[in-house]
Amino acid sequence: MTRISATGLTRRTLLKSSAAAAFGTLAAPSILRAQSTEIVIGCAGSHTAWMEEIVAPHMKSAIGADILFEGTKSSVNLEKMASNKDKPYLSVVQMDDPVMIQAVEADLLSPITPDAVPNMEDLRPDAVHMDGMWCNYVQPWAGIAYNTDFAPDGVPSWEALWAPENAGQVIIPSLQNTEGMWTLFVAAMLGSGKPFSEAQYEVDAAFAKLEALKPNLLSVYTTMSQAFNLLEQGEITLLSGNFSSYTLPRKAEGVPVDLAAPKEGIFAMPSGICLVKGGPNPELAQAYVNEMLGPDMQAAIADFASSVPANTTVKAGAVVPEGVQIYSPDWAFVAENRRGWIERFDKLMAL
Amino acid sequence: MTGRLDRIGLLAVPALGFLAAIYALPLAMLLAKSVQTAEGFSLAEYRAFFADDYNIRVLARTLRVAALTTLLAFVIAYPTAFAMSRAKGIWLTVFLVALVLPMSLGVVVKAFAWSILFRANGVLNSILMGIGMTERPVRMLFTETALIVGAANVFLPFMVLPIYSVVRQLDTRLPEAAASLGATPWFRFTRVTLPLTLPGVVAGSAFVFSMSVSMYVIPSLIVGERQQNLSMLIARSFLYLRNEALGSTIAAILLAIAIAVVLLSGWLATRLGARR
Repeated sequence: MTRISATGLTRRTLLKSSAAAAFGTLAAPSILRAQSTEIVIGCAGSHTAWMEEIVAPHMKSAIGADILFEGTKSSVNLEKMASNKDKPYLSVVQMDDPVMIQAVEADLLSPITPDAVPNMEDLRPDAVHMDGMWCNYVQPWAGIAYNTDFAPDGVPSWEALWAPENAGQVIIPSLQNTEGMWTLFVAAMLGSGKPFSEAQYEVDAAFAKLEALKPNLLSVYTTMSQAFNLLEQGEITLLSGNFSSYTLPRKAEGVPVDLAAPKEGIFAMPSGICLVKGGPNPELAQAYVNEMLGPDMQAAIADFASSVPANTTVKAGAVVPEGVQIYSPDWAFVAENRRGWIERFDKLMAL
Repeated sequence: MTGRLDRIGLLAVPALGFLAAIYALPLAMLLAKSVQTAEGFSLAEYRAFFADDYNIRVLARTLRVAALTTLLAFVIAYPTAFAMSRAKGIWLTVFLVALVLPMSLGVVVKAFAWSILFRANGVLNSILMGIGMTERPVRMLFTETALIVGAANVFLPFMVLPIYSVVRQLDTRLPEAAASLGATPWFRFTRVTLPLTLPGVVAGSAFVFSMSVSMYVIPSLIVGERQQNLSMLIARSFLYLRNEALGSTIAAILLAIAIAVVLLSGWLATRLGARR
């Protein structure tokens, strides 16, 4: 038998030891995961600040969970869930309502029940969807973010996006982003002249009005932070469809930006939370959702992110501007048509 | 000798296995999806892609931007490679560090840096207005020019280094011999120096073109969604339209372009090498 060295180590012993070491290394993550207090949460990239500062420390002390979060767009979270349907690694996902509908259709969610998540009984009735497949937790409101140095009198109407003096001064979100829908619905209202409840179905009128917006557009974004940076720097004056949880904290930090609530109305951002079907650590995931819907987390997030809490026992968070309508669209209609709208929008806006 | 070579060849097995598992296999699955329908094999997705004017415009833009990025990188890299080949000691180190160190900086950071330079009140516009070339700021952000400049900046090392490696081995006596026979500087450059350095140019161009034609983050940040390229269409197909067949089809087209560039550059390099 071949000796490797004078220590008595044979080639066979070395191979056995290596195989054992390799098995141990490969198996370690599964073994550790089995006893883990770690859960992976999918959320929006713009949630990073409060997920890090508020949610992660609270969850560690309240339910002993170590939170790993992946911040990205709702559509990307949906793709992650669909791609890993057979072996999910996300336990909870926080994403927007139209994408939640697609997740339900793809059988990716487990219902949230009052037995496992008692705090859901304190939610506003309209915050619980499709028999508990998902709930809204906090809701920011959306309007037009503007640079106060260049628009000191504010933005009284959505028509400002189309005003000739704002040529090259406007950025709007892509329809790939949920907040992109607000510009589409406003275009539908202004283009059709109908009230929102009817205008939201006037898609052709919306696209015709959007075409008239092209001379004023500097760009269309899918990465909001870059567009917001240009607003802060005064490179643009108006950023359409932005929301209170992003603009108002920046305003509070002294940045020359503010969020306008134009007279035609504002929109409720549809921030939802759901349990991933077959996701790891289901009990911990339910405890996480329960905490997110409970009074402590609701008050903390609503205050931090200038949003409206969904829990009726909580008095905190953003003050919704008075005197303007706040709209919530037919998300089922959006979910059904969104892919076609994205393609149409990209072709319309292309240079 | 052959047996020894065979055993040495085994050293490539881990790399080949790695490539097969994480690259070739997923790629084959991806390509299969582009020709699979419920009815079986079909090229319908390819026909649909090429029948759409918008896709043709995106394809043309992708190729144009990649070609212009490669050209700009070449124009900057070629003299730089000669300067580097003449540099010695600390200056050569300075050149190499200046070339390689920015590669450690993320593309996102570079793209943000470019957006600062290109702003209406940015450095470039301040210079242009300061020297009286323009009275008002020129729009540079979200333009194709900005994209080409930004991409050429990111990919420049991949053009400089192959040319430098060839120029460094250039026999300096050949242009001198041409001069002694009465050749003008232009003649010496076009008939002696340039042909001898072309293999490096071909290799560098293949690198830069392949990376430019498939870039995603740089155009996403510098020009946004109004000037989509093929990679952005792929991401949109998979992530937002949830249309795997379309995404796979575009990916296959992009792959075909990349393979064509590699084969063409390999053929060119062989021909140019034979001519030397």
